[in-house]
Amino acid sequence: MPPPATTNLGYTPPDGGWGWVVVLAAFISIGFSYAFPKSLTVYFKEIQEYFGVSYSEIAWVSSVMLATMYAAGPISSILVNRYGSRPVVIVGGFLVGVGMVSASFGTSIVHLYLCVGVIGGFGLAFNLQPALTIIGTYFQAKRPLANGLAMTGSPVVLFTLAPLNQFLFDSFGWRGSFLILGAIVLNCCVAGSLMRPVNKMVVFKPKTEPLEVNGAEEASGAEALRSEDSPKSQSCVHRFIDFSLFKHRGFLIYLVGNIILFFGFFAPVVFLAPYAKHQGIDEYSAAFLLSIFALSDMFIRPATGFIGNTRWIRPKIQYFFAFAVSYNGVCHLLCPLLPGYAGLVVYAVFFGFAFGMLSALLFETLMDLVGAKRFSTAVGLCTIIECGPVLLGPPMSGALVDIFGDYKYMYYTCGVFMLVPGLFFFIMHYFNYRKLEEEKHKEAVGMRTAEDTVHLNIGQKDKSEDEMEK
Amino acid sequence: MSAPCMHPSCLLLLLLVVCRHAHTNLVSVTENTTVTTEPPVETLSPITPPVAPLTPLQTGQKSVVLTGENHTEKVEVVNPVTLNLECVWTGDNKRLPNITGYWTKDGKTIESSYSNTQLQNDRYYLRKEFSIMSEEDLGTYSCIFGPKAKVDFILAAPYLGEMRDKPIVSYVGDSVVMICKMDEKKSKPINWNWYKHNGTSKEKIEVDSPGHRYKITKDEKKTKLVVHNLTESDSGVYFCGAVYGIGTSMGHMQLRVITYFEPLKPFLGILVEVLVLVAVILLYEKTGSKKENQSGPEGNPDQTSNLSHGENAVADGHSGTARQRKV
Repeated sequence: MPPPATTNLGYTPPDGGWGWVVVLAAFISIGFSYAFPKSLTVYFKEIQEYFGVSYSEIAWVSSVMLATMYAAGPISSILVNRYGSRPVVIVGGFLVGVGMVSASFGTSIVHLYLCVGVIGGFGLAFNLQPALTIIGTYFQAKRPLANGLAMTGSPVVLFTLAPLNQFLFDSFGWRGSFLILGAIVLNCCVAGSLMRPVNKMVVFKPKTEPLEVNGAEEASGAEALRSEDSPKSQSCVHRFIDFSLFKHRGFLIYLVGNIILFFGFFAPVVFLAPYAKHQGIDEYSAAFLLSIFALSDMFIRPATGFIGNTRWIRPKIQYFFAFAVSYNGVCHLLCPLLPGYAGLVVYAVFFGFAFGMLSALLFETLMDLVGAKRFSTAVGLCTIIECGPVLLGPPMSGALVDIFGDYKYMYYTCGVFMLVPGLFFFIMHYFNYRKLEEEKHKEAVGMRTAEDTVHLNIGQKDKSEDEMEK
Repeated sequence: MSAPCMHPSCLLLLLLVVCRHAHTNLVSVTENTTVTTEPPVETLSPITPPVAPLTPLQTGQKSVVLTGENHTEKVEVVNPVTLNLECVWTGDNKRLPNITGYWTKDGKTIESSYSNTQLQNDRYYLRKEFSIMSEEDLGTYSCIFGPKAKVDFILAAPYLGEMRDKPIVSYVGDSVVMICKMDEKKSKPINWNWYKHNGTSKEKIEVDSPGHRYKITKDEKKTKLVVHNLTESDSGVYFCGAVYGIGTSMGHMQLRVITYFEPLKPFLGILVEVLVLVAVILLYEKTGSKKENQSGPEGNPDQTSNLSHGENAVADGHSGTARQRKV
């Protein structure tokens, strides 16, 4: 009989109930984390003129914010491991609020880098990690769906913030807008207060679904326990960050693939409108392309979560992720071949699907590989390492466009940077699944022999007792 | 320029005329590629003085005649110039051998411009030379064939690049930067000026006005006006003027100066909303958990039965149990 929820969590996640409220809270937190840096670009032109700096200096504000958000991952992980998600998210929301309010009184561009970039970035990091982690504690069977729904926050919040920012700018100028944005972002504190720590005492009736769901996780869970049992001669840092993750096969596959794919992930989004304008399309139609992209992204994320939850996909969800990555690559490779505005619309729709699929599965697959217990640490390590490609990707692509004067080489490069990891994932996870099956088999056999030995011993003991009685 | 002149004074005159034309070749005529107004009517070709490196423009439209139809042509003038405007009309179905045509400036008929045009090569021609010397000479010149066809030439100094149509918002005590730009492709102005509208007219802004609050920087194609220590009276319309040989091209923008209280109101509103929500959520949770504690004793049997259920279910799976307990 297949073992029940071997989640190594020590309890059975509710998979519903308050969990859905937590998904809403995570939706808000994740939405602000990803959409906030992107939406600030509306103010850049005026701030650039006000401080008399070049556009690239002003664009650094967004980059510093994004970089800090990714780099502060491990710190966020430590805090979540220690204190749980709720306090960290509340502090995070408060930090971003404080950052934006103090930026509204800024007197120099460096002031903005520090307030919006560094403080804001920390605040967003303290929102992102805990939101992802808490989903893992509340959901097991419906986790892909919950993840997909939560990640939909990013396009929805971006869609809302963009016109809102424009309206604030027209009414209050950049200073007043930053002040009001500081208040709006405090809603992350509301989201944080909703993130009730899951009740581990009450044991819920486990579902009768065949829980063949943790394909990649089970054996890795066994590994985790073995490593935890190892002597506690670890340093203070080791207690909070689990560096043994670097020996974890699945984690390494994920990390290597992600480092490569992030080089080509964001650049096509950044250059979609400029590419359209370069082809002679007017500004409004080019901006409309981005809206089409955001809409298809918005709808595909929950759909991907739902599909990933089905019993055909869930056990082999790594392949689904590999498919999503490769699909991205194929989209970019085909983009330059599509003619005119109609071609770009088609590309925007399909790219929106690809981007959404990948985003919805990005953290679900990591959870699937390392398990909910180690997820917090794993995601912290991932984000700080991915910091590099995320920041270097768009400028590198920009350099490609400048050198060749044509956007198609950039698209081909991005396509390759996504197709190669996709294929890498397919191959490596095939081997990984096989190895996991082998390990599971060995474990099962090992357990059975251990039980037999126990029975034998008990039997012998009874026999000896009988003999003694006699 | 027909027969070569040998007399020195004649030569001198020729030289002068040539020089004058050479200087005035800064007149650019906007390329008129597709004129697809509804049933397009005439074929027209405005021509500039021969020295300009521009070929006469033929719009090549189909000639379908409709009454009241007209066409508009934008002409950029940078320096004083003698401009030769020509209208060519393919005529109507009457095909009168002679029709009268005349010119107007800004709607007012130029008296001396009445002429009879004859049908040549199946077209009517109207030509006139205009001397554009100063700002008053700019405007809309129209050639009118009989009562029927009309072509408008809009003569103006180069227009400024995109200006922000919504007001610029800034705060009391803060400073603001206003920028005017000329397109890269157009000629650069001789000078830039800034004006403020004070209810009735434009008042020029001098840099050394009392208080040293204004600062004007002028690059070739860009100008910046910085106003420090803003007060609410600084709100209003500001004009930037690009000065050319022929006149000044104006752009305008609006400045709005507000106090910090304006954004503070929505800020406080949202802050209150956040605090209320957080308080409500945490209170709800506290009272919810209190209720659970109160119903503890009764709830226990349920819990224990649940536990036993859970234990049974768990005990069914052999291999998992030991591991789970440990964690």
